[in-house]
Amino acid sequence: MSSSFSRRALLKGAALGGLATTGALSGCASGPPPGTATWSMWSSSPEENRVWADFGRYVERRMHIRSASTLTPSDSYPTKLDLQLVSGTAGMVTALNGWLIPTYASRGAHRPLDDLIAADPDFDLDDFYPAIRSISSFAGHTYAIGFDVAPTVLYYNRTLLERNGVDPPSPTEPMSWDTFRDLAVELSEPKDQYGFTCAPSIDDLVSWIYCAGGDVVDGDRGTSPLDAPEALEAIHYVVDLFVKDRATPPIDNLAQSASGAALANFLQGNVAFMQNGPWQVLNVREAPFTWDVVPFPAGPAGSTPRVSGSSFAIPSGVRGDDLELAWRLLKTLTSTGALDIYARAGRNNPARLSAASAFEPPPANLGIVQRILKGEVAGGHPFNVTTNWNRVRLLLGQDLPRAFLGQVSVRDAIDGVMPRLNALMRQHRDAVRQAA
Amino acid sequence: MAVETPTAATEAPRRGPRGPLRRPRLRRHGSETVAAWLFLLPSLVGFLVFTAGPVVAAGVISLLDWNLFSPPHFIGLDNFARLGPDTTFWSALGNTAYFTFVSVPLTLLVSLGLAVLLNQGLRRMAVFRSLLLLPYATITVAVAFVWVWLYIPHDGLINAVLGAFGIDGPAWLISDDWAMPALILMSVWKSFGFGMVIFLAGLQAIPQQLYEAARVDGASPWRTFRAVTLPLLSPSVFFTVITSIIGSFQVFDQALVMTDGGPGTSTTTLVMYIYRTGFQNYEQGYAAAQSMVLFAFIVVITAAQFLLQRRLVHYDL
Repeated sequence: MSSSFSRRALLKGAALGGLATTGALSGCASGPPPGTATWSMWSSSPEENRVWADFGRYVERRMHIRSASTLTPSDSYPTKLDLQLVSGTAGMVTALNGWLIPTYASRGAHRPLDDLIAADPDFDLDDFYPAIRSISSFAGHTYAIGFDVAPTVLYYNRTLLERNGVDPPSPTEPMSWDTFRDLAVELSEPKDQYGFTCAPSIDDLVSWIYCAGGDVVDGDRGTSPLDAPEALEAIHYVVDLFVKDRATPPIDNLAQSASGAALANFLQGNVAFMQNGPWQVLNVREAPFTWDVVPFPAGPAGSTPRVSGSSFAIPSGVRGDDLELAWRLLKTLTSTGALDIYARAGRNNPARLSAASAFEPPPANLGIVQRILKGEVAGGHPFNVTTNWNRVRLLLGQDLPRAFLGQVSVRDAIDGVMPRLNALMRQHRDAVRQAA
Repeated sequence: MAVETPTAATEAPRRGPRGPLRRPRLRRHGSETVAAWLFLLPSLVGFLVFTAGPVVAAGVISLLDWNLFSPPHFIGLDNFARLGPDTTFWSALGNTAYFTFVSVPLTLLVSLGLAVLLNQGLRRMAVFRSLLLLPYATITVAVAFVWVWLYIPHDGLINAVLGAFGIDGPAWLISDDWAMPALILMSVWKSFGFGMVIFLAGLQAIPQQLYEAARVDGASPWRTFRAVTLPLLSPSVFFTVITSIIGSFQVFDQALVMTDGGPGTSTTTLVMYIYRTGFQNYEQGYAAAQSMVLFAFIVVITAAQFLLQRRLVHYDL
């Protein structure tokens, strides 16, 4: 009896202990103490983690307070950020990919920074490249401060070109589309060697559309010019490289991340040219061949590929003393000193002109990135997106790849998406008007 | 009765079970009940907070227009009315039904076949059982990446093997016609281990005398399987069918990793569409309405199976 009683008592005790532990653990999950500088960022590799840890130490050194960053893999970052914003658990400063800024701004998830900028004589917005200022704005207001910005460039495999007796392209003068196509076709011999790689997605296609003088978004007119002759010419050009010229590695599946698949192809060493941004420089440095970057090929409207960037913003829920702290934190995270750390690690071109010198070779021609942004060489086009770009991207991501696979003609693919695309453009127009 | 009444009054304490022993037993039952509730409590709290609560919340959200950041507005059944003309929703529902009604029977057949084979008293059965259970024990996302490699059209392993037999393999994940069968094939490979273990346990619980009696009666192996094995295995089959159908209706990971729902929307499943509606299109109310429809489908199909099991499932020998 006594042994039965003690066993039962033990079991009861275990059950009660479990409940108490659960309660205690849930009580502990209350977040960092007040006055901590909290910020959110995406990070998908140990190298990136190290950069953000350095940022955290820099913040603590400069602000003399504790820094607490929440790092999330880039694929799941937007969803996690959404949930944090809704539940009021987001950091007082959150990193935003430039193409998501109109999405968050139009929904009131982040606050405009104009009042904070105007009240702070120490903050020099002119030290940021105009492209990132444009990307970080919505409806005439600044919603974020950039930390990186860069145009899409053309990577080339110098070893492969030399092996095929082809001179490297000019480091400053963009190739014409005709020249580029001829080279891509010529370098697609012998078997298993390819002239060019890019992702069969709107993210990459849009650079060619800009170079042809077209666009996906036309202000807030409520219609998309994707079926205009300029855009169609660009789409035909790229699709032909895939389908007619067979100058690109075959598409294996449609689920790989856009730039990831192109990078993987290029790193194999059997692809002559890759369309990508300087944010891949760090990864391409691992390549077992010599390479460099040159300006993007010039179409009928010149060399004006997509210019993308990322920024830090303050959620709308941050108020009072926290707002003052958040602004100090945002300024520190985007200061020349912080961006020096970022650029020196090779992550990407910094958004500040005063930090530009920290983004150094290799490759030898890396300086072209800043010259393009300053308008000294070639050109660029800020990534023009809508307040519902997620949906636009999804729609085009579903239907355009069929053209790249040769399953449907470009005309049919575009005609198929236009009604739904225009519906999204009308939704965007309404959102912009409502925000204004 | 006349004799019993005074005796009952005087001898009640010694009357055994109905007398003084009843109270300690009640006390014991009471304390066991408390202990049982204490043990159930973590699961019950988990169920209420993480399952029942969200279902109720989804029901409420399905009546709202809510983009996550702005205040929600009550719009009644408008979100449900939107489902009618939404071709992507019906396409996703069709894809999910296609996946479910092909993958579940295939998985069951493979599981049952392997369980019957393993039940033949093979040597090193434990080793085979462990090896065959391995796909089920691995993470779907990791396995899906491996299958993406296997399915590469021009130099993937599957098409290389087919090519060795003179067969020109399909484009698998980038083909409208083959992307869904490719997902199903991978899912069958991934899931058969679960059913196999359940069936094996069911097979080993069938008394050997029944097989001996069938043999004495001259029943063929097929007749024995139909008349003895299948009926006595029916509870295991029922359990596996229910759990497999519910799991298949919620297919998400492999489609996201292997095809991202494409080409076009040919492998966009309902849960994938719900996720995109809620977290990429920021239409929480509409996503909740879709999830309520999915919930209703699963409830109806499960209820139908429970009704059918009265005729088809045999719990007694």
